[in-house]
Amino acid sequence: MATIQFQDIRKSFGDTEVLKGVGLNIADGEFLSLVGPSGCGKSTLLRILAGLESQTSGSVRIGGIPVDGLHAADRDLAMVFQSYALYPHLTVAENIAVPLTMRRLSPAQRLPVIGRAFPGSAAMRAEISTIVRDAADMLDIGHLLERKPGQLSGGQRQRVAVGRALVRDPAAFLLDEPLSNLDAKMRVHMRTEIAQLNRSLGATFVYVTHDQAEAMTMSDRIAVMMGGELLQVGTPDALYDFPNDIRVAQFIGSPAINILPVETDAGGAIHLCDRRTGLRAGGPPVEHLGVRPEALAPCDDDELLSGRVRLIENLGSDLFVQLDVPGVPLPVTLRLPPSERGKVKVGDLMHLRAAEGRICGFDVAGKAASVATLKRVASHV
Amino acid sequence: MCDALTLSSAASKPQKIARPERRQARAGMALFAPALILLVVILIFPVTVAALLSFTDYTLGRPGISWVGLRNYVDIFSGSSYRKMIVATVLYVLIVVPVSVFLGLGAALLIRSLKVGQSFYKTVYFLPVMASLLAMAIVWEFALHPTLGIVNRTLAMGCGTPVEWWSWFAHGCTEGFPLWLGDRDYALYTLAFIGIWQSFGFNMVLYLAGLTSVPSDLYGAASMDGVKRGWERFRLVTWPMLGPTTVFVVTITTIRSFQVFDTVEALTHGGPAKSTYVMIYAIYQKGIAQNLVGLGAALTVLFLALVMLINVAQRRFIERKVHYQ
Repeated sequence: MATIQFQDIRKSFGDTEVLKGVGLNIADGEFLSLVGPSGCGKSTLLRILAGLESQTSGSVRIGGIPVDGLHAADRDLAMVFQSYALYPHLTVAENIAVPLTMRRLSPAQRLPVIGRAFPGSAAMRAEISTIVRDAADMLDIGHLLERKPGQLSGGQRQRVAVGRALVRDPAAFLLDEPLSNLDAKMRVHMRTEIAQLNRSLGATFVYVTHDQAEAMTMSDRIAVMMGGELLQVGTPDALYDFPNDIRVAQFIGSPAINILPVETDAGGAIHLCDRRTGLRAGGPPVEHLGVRPEALAPCDDDELLSGRVRLIENLGSDLFVQLDVPGVPLPVTLRLPPSERGKVKVGDLMHLRAAEGRICGFDVAGKAASVATLKRVASHV
Repeated sequence: MCDALTLSSAASKPQKIARPERRQARAGMALFAPALILLVVILIFPVTVAALLSFTDYTLGRPGISWVGLRNYVDIFSGSSYRKMIVATVLYVLIVVPVSVFLGLGAALLIRSLKVGQSFYKTVYFLPVMASLLAMAIVWEFALHPTLGIVNRTLAMGCGTPVEWWSWFAHGCTEGFPLWLGDRDYALYTLAFIGIWQSFGFNMVLYLAGLTSVPSDLYGAASMDGVKRGWERFRLVTWPMLGPTTVFVVTITTIRSFQVFDTVEALTHGGPAKSTYVMIYAIYQKGIAQNLVGLGAALTVLFLALVMLINVAQRRFIERKVHYQ
């Protein structure tokens, strides 16, 4: 078990800078997700932590010890690859055993056939096969030990890859989009299993994904990466409720946050399409407002915005209503409880208000800017 | 009655249209017929003719032809050159195949590890494959000339130097270096050397293609699993993943080695003392040079049977083990 710290990691491939100085401290036993759209550099960062790639500059510490320049094999980390990267010619048992045979048997003992004749080899092999069997039973793949990876389903291969990672009891686990090749149902299932594994092993997990739902459901903390930079690091709640960048707000949450283009006048009042919103900028001028679909609620008069119903999505547990709002390029999504089913029709005019404290403001650079309710400010004056 | 007839014919018509799979089958047959005809005309028919001719005493230009049964085969197996032919052919294959396969693999691995100059080495190693072996044979003939050739002249330069502790070398200095193509102890090995020189570039290209299909994640996984040395990485990932390529390379090289002819024809004519009397050269000698078509056909059938046997064995016993599905 170990902490992982990295500072000012930069990585360039030729002229393209993939990582622009990222740094983070990951606590012992923490489940940290690196999340971001494809091409944001998150996999590269993970490979640098693993030692499979070297950074252009910056340093990595594992358990407080600098590991820069250390071979991947010596970093005491385990990795689960997106492609699973199982050795196709070895059985499941042999696949899981590889990290142990490579570390515990001497090169002579590893030799095919004659390796078994070397002293200590038989005892060590017996010990390894016991560990492999325990790991396989824990992952519920004990009955597949003699099969080859080619004969397994995606979910089973995934478990073998996890088994190969955990059999050695490494300092930390690095997982590179391990669920993206699974079907939707399996993905949800493995999501909980991996989160449980983190809790039961108590080991540090660094989990790379482009799926914000995976990051939200599994992580202690999430690091959102975009364009080679860490935009925000925080708990899932903090990222969801208080995104510090408009890109984070848009990336986290499904359905996506509603972004309303607004104008701030000289007095600080915020206008949506030349209409007062009842809000004012607390600091710098606000260019965009962000409101989560569940933070919007219907009301009688035009408090924040109003629009006509364009589409109703009934998910059973939720009702998502999309409204065309003048001045807002994308439809505004509103979540209603299932009790509202049948009460809203396409073409209806709806007035919406936002729950107290659930509106985020963003300045011209897209950074978070404080927003206050005008009435309350007025009442204080 | 008349109405009923027209009705039934009208009813049978749509029935035909309602079976598109039959029309598709007909179209399919029409489409594959040319391939089938070509297969029969240029592959199956000639082989059958050769097999039939091997039981006759047919010679080109003589009007008569008579059935001689197995006599051609008996002649081959009782003849004095039969043993030499098999020994020369098998020895040649046994030398050329492993050496050129491993050289090809080694060259491919070395080239892959280069950062610059990959295409230069690829081109250089592939040159002998592109060149006509017959033309190259002439170059080799000059190079291996016992007295004027560059090989023996270079070797002679080593005389009087510490290399002479090697007894073979010292012997060469006093008694003269080998005649290479003219010495029955060296001729086949010299041809095998030229054969390797000519074919390993081809194997290298096949291995280079095979190497590109090895998923790079497997190397990453191997590193994470504690593999540090190149040899271990090769054993755990590269070699198993190249299994299908190796089967293909070995098969191709085996067949090509069995078919060695041009260097024999150009350099040794099967000699000296029939030490390089390989099968294809024997077929050419009997069937074409001496116009004993029946005997040549019998040799051809034996040759085909041998190559086929080896191929079937490779498919049965090895191919199943290298495709990991």
